[in-house]
Amino acid sequence: MQVFLQTFIGGLSLGAIYALVALGFSLVYRTMGLVNFAHGNVVTVGAYLASTFYLSTQLPFVLAMAVAILLTGAIGLVIERVLRPLENKDFDLMLIGTIGFGIVLEALIIMIWGATGRAVPSPVPGAPLDVFGVRIRTYDLVVLAIAATATVLLVFFLSRTKRGAAMQAVAMDHEAATAVGIHVGRSNATAFMIGAGLAALAGGLVGPLLYVSPAMGGALGIKGFAAAILGGFGSIPGAVIGGLAIGVLDGFTAGHFQGYSELVTFLVFTVIIMIRPTGIFGERTVNRA
Amino acid sequence: MRYRIAAFAALAVAAWLLPYGLDSYAIHVVNVIILFALLAVGLGLAMGVGGQVNLAQVAFFGVGAYVTAILTTEAGLGFWVAALLAVAATAAIGLLVGTPALRIQSHYLGIVTLGLALAFTNWVTNAQVAGGAEGISNIPVPTLPGVDLSNEYLFYYLELIVLAGGLLFGEFVVRTGLGRRMRAMRDDALAAGALGAEVPMLRMTAFLLASVYGGVAGVLYAGLIRYVAPESFGIANMFLLLAMVIIGGRQSLIGCVVGAVTLSVVRELLVDHPTYAQVAYGSVVVLTVVFAPTGLAGLPRRIRAAVGRRGAVAGRLGPFQPYERGDAPPADAPAVLRVDDVHMSFRGLKALDGVSLTVRQGEIRGIVGPNGSGKTTLFNVISGLYRPTGGRVEFDGRDVTGLAPYRLARAGISRTFQNLRLFGDLTVRENVLVALDPSRTVDGWRYLLRPLSVLRGDRRLRARADEVLDRYGLTAFAAQPPRSLPYGTQRRVEIARAVAARPRLLLLDEPAAGLNGDEVRQLGEMVRSIRDSGVTVVVIEHNMGLVMSLCEHITVLASGVVIAEGSPAEVAAAPAVIEAYLGDSMSTDDVELPTEVNR
Amino acid sequence: MSTATTTGTAALTVSGLTVHYGGVCAVRDVSFEVPAGQAVGVIGANGAGKTSTLKAILGLVPRTVTALRLGDVDLSRVAARDMVRHGIGYVPEGRHVFPGLTVEKNLLLGAYARRWDAEVRAGLDEVYELFGVLAQMRGRLAGALSGGQQQMLSIGRALMSRPRLLLLDEPSMGLSPKLVEDILAVLQRLGREGLSMLLVEQNAKLTFEATATCLVVENGEVAMTGTSEKLRHDPQVRRIYLGL
Repeated sequence: MQVFLQTFIGGLSLGAIYALVALGFSLVYRTMGLVNFAHGNVVTVGAYLASTFYLSTQLPFVLAMAVAILLTGAIGLVIERVLRPLENKDFDLMLIGTIGFGIVLEALIIMIWGATGRAVPSPVPGAPLDVFGVRIRTYDLVVLAIAATATVLLVFFLSRTKRGAAMQAVAMDHEAATAVGIHVGRSNATAFMIGAGLAALAGGLVGPLLYVSPAMGGALGIKGFAAAILGGFGSIPGAVIGGLAIGVLDGFTAGHFQGYSELVTFLVFTVIIMIRPTGIFGERTVNRA
Repeated sequence: MRYRIAAFAALAVAAWLLPYGLDSYAIHVVNVIILFALLAVGLGLAMGVGGQVNLAQVAFFGVGAYVTAILTTEAGLGFWVAALLAVAATAAIGLLVGTPALRIQSHYLGIVTLGLALAFTNWVTNAQVAGGAEGISNIPVPTLPGVDLSNEYLFYYLELIVLAGGLLFGEFVVRTGLGRRMRAMRDDALAAGALGAEVPMLRMTAFLLASVYGGVAGVLYAGLIRYVAPESFGIANMFLLLAMVIIGGRQSLIGCVVGAVTLSVVRELLVDHPTYAQVAYGSVVVLTVVFAPTGLAGLPRRIRAAVGRRGAVAGRLGPFQPYERGDAPPADAPAVLRVDDVHMSFRGLKALDGVSLTVRQGEIRGIVGPNGSGKTTLFNVISGLYRPTGGRVEFDGRDVTGLAPYRLARAGISRTFQNLRLFGDLTVRENVLVALDPSRTVDGWRYLLRPLSVLRGDRRLRARADEVLDRYGLTAFAAQPPRSLPYGTQRRVEIARAVAARPRLLLLDEPAAGLNGDEVRQLGEMVRSIRDSGVTVVVIEHNMGLVMSLCEHITVLASGVVIAEGSPAEVAAAPAVIEAYLGDSMSTDDVELPTEVNR
Repeated sequence: MSTATTTGTAALTVSGLTVHYGGVCAVRDVSFEVPAGQAVGVIGANGAGKTSTLKAILGLVPRTVTALRLGDVDLSRVAARDMVRHGIGYVPEGRHVFPGLTVEKNLLLGAYARRWDAEVRAGLDEVYELFGVLAQMRGRLAGALSGGQQQMLSIGRALMSRPRLLLLDEPSMGLSPKLVEDILAVLQRLGREGLSMLLVEQNAKLTFEATATCLVVENGEVAMTGTSEKLRHDPQVRRIYLGL
């Protein structure tokens, strides 16, 4: 039981990161039907930016993170602007276009920060807490708290602000949104920027958990995407649940299958998606052909 | 044509002579390039031809290489036996990876195939049998009597022959029935299904082809490098391969090869600056998808279109030549279609609320009703696109409720679509050919074992297609893509296509939409002649003039319910119909009903 | 409903409006005026080009036009998303409410181009007064409403922008006769309050009762114009509708 709890808690913090990545995927997808395969590389950019500011310019962790989020958001704007002609038109081309961006970003990361990775020390020192025999790292709690806050803020933005409502309206019916005076392109750009910002947040937070390297975004991106689909693509609660689920699944497969954890994770994911293509909270039906 | 043959001959000679000008490093590079070209052709077949997003192609490559390596080093099998088993294993894996495509498409399929590819690299990095991160070395040299394949110059010729064969076979598939149906499915899976293309089988075929090409390339890789390790088969190479296919032009196999060669050469030139090379090809991928989605292979056509504006509309639409009249159906002809109390709701919204109707053989039945009354939903239920939430559909006395569209199509139901669903990247002739072709996907083995009979069959089909085109006056447009044609002509192509499937029941969804007066008149003649040839026709139409003059029998729908049924005169006089169309203020007394209707 | 009313001259002037989709000419050289404070109807069979006309006025589809004015303001170069800022409210065919948002959010988004202040809240109350049923459903998701309620929401949303001209596309589509009566009552009330309207409809009865003048379109062209009273008894209209 204790081992179970330990694995569960351990999986949650990485799951929270996946959830943030998944939120970015879902937000962008639900507003403009664009699947951003470069999202994982955007996460890496965020991780490098945050760790650079934190380590070399000695900015406080929070500030370093904020700067990283802003800069990464700007990258999101660029990607959206370039791929705008394909929005809501050709899914497959768009997908490949974002893969192209991912290739470029990965190369740029290597050019700027080198091919070798770096370790980021935890910004919150201190011994792990001991709760009924389960050891919990303080940084894990920080990650969970920040991820929860970000989710709440996002939900608040979407449901309580005018711009957030407009963004949702664009997602639901872009023609009607245009007719009430919403600038669809600008709204999409904002969504993309927020998505990239969430990726940077995930990247910044994951730095101290994993080793920051040019390749880390690939795995994070794919698992975050899997999380988004698992929860129901486009659904905000789905992204959170899906992220946590993949994190916990990851934790358990790592415990039971050691090196083969990735294999098992993706096999389980494939089976789930085949049984229920719309995910847990998904409503869209998949074309029957 | 003569130029093309000359060009191919020159290319073949150049390829044959190439090793004489290369040093030992260069020939090694060329040998690797050829493997990428082979992989690219496989990916092109799945993605460009079959429309299946396959991000596991490099994993297929890996499976082929690893199985060869394991069977030769661990099990001690001879190279060629191992190679055969490796290709078979890759094909099996390919079918397994393709299974999700039966349920999901597009980006979902992308993530699943990518995830499974990662699972593969994860496995080989950890598995004892695969040598872990160090991989497997000491793979024996493949033996060939009289040829020393440890010599890379000679290995080049082996690869060249395989690539030429692979390309030839790929082109053979693409240009005949199987590939045509795959391309049709790529352009419009719904319409392809409605014309009898077995969409699930075709998707599996796409993955089967891709994996066989991947497996063969893997075997050659094992024989060439004689060492396999996980990093050769990772995501980075997958994305590189994808870039090759996109930049070259995914819909053209030659384009895939050109893309593979171009990108490999550029990468080799920039070998000291791999990151710059990566930035360059990533950017080119982005620019390609935004500005030239057809890639390098599509450039000649685009340039021609931009320069000359030739081929805009090269010919004229000919007259329709009526079919010979069959026997007139007896008055008590049996029912072809029986719709019984069909209900269809979408998330609680009732689109059809207990619709029943019976269509007798040889009838032309009109279905009319205001917008949103459920007419097209009814067609979608009959043709199998929707499974009704209640009720049943009988065709020829057989319960066909909820059968897959392609089964219904093969049973004899054909249809057109309200918003035209022609296969955009196929020519007009190919559009018709897809419908004419009765062959099944499981007969695909004939491509390997009886290629000549496939070719002969295809030639016969082409002759029949030309007859169809001639009958519908479309001969002048046979080689053009439908979207370059005027709208009215496209409508006619769709009808010709639907009839080419030789249905017993033809469903026409708003065939007159967007047609001018003259075209509407021709349409009327066409439909009557089609009926006279023995096809039962059900037509949804808003052009009341056409409906009233064409149909013996009209069913009126409103809000998902049949509100009237009868002869044109009866229907036009029915208060419920006038209410539905005009509101109820206009009494019928104002106007005398004409006894004869013509327009 | 207090609506800005300009007296005398035309509210909307359309001249030489043409729409092409690919090779099809959906609307051919259509010209007409909507006098200020009046309602004009556009009727015709399905596929005659009614919806295209409306979308083209808004700029939602590519079009060419020689003149397009609201009052004295030239709209021919105004982007679709800015039409509402010039005083054009739009009730799209098929209602097109935002299904995943609440009724109240839908209405508020109708006033997207304005500041969400006390005046907008007052507008909200006016809409709730006009459509009592929406007031009861204000917290409900729009996608969960019945067809008739969605239609009212769609009209209410357009009114929230305080339009000088309301464009309505088939508000009766898919509704029962009783609900069509309700919609008619609303349109008549808006008309009495001096709102200019352009009503595109297939339901001729509704249109004749809600408007003073009508255009009958056929094959993308204006086939007839006249007072609604006169057209109501014209057998030609029946021919166009029922194909007799």
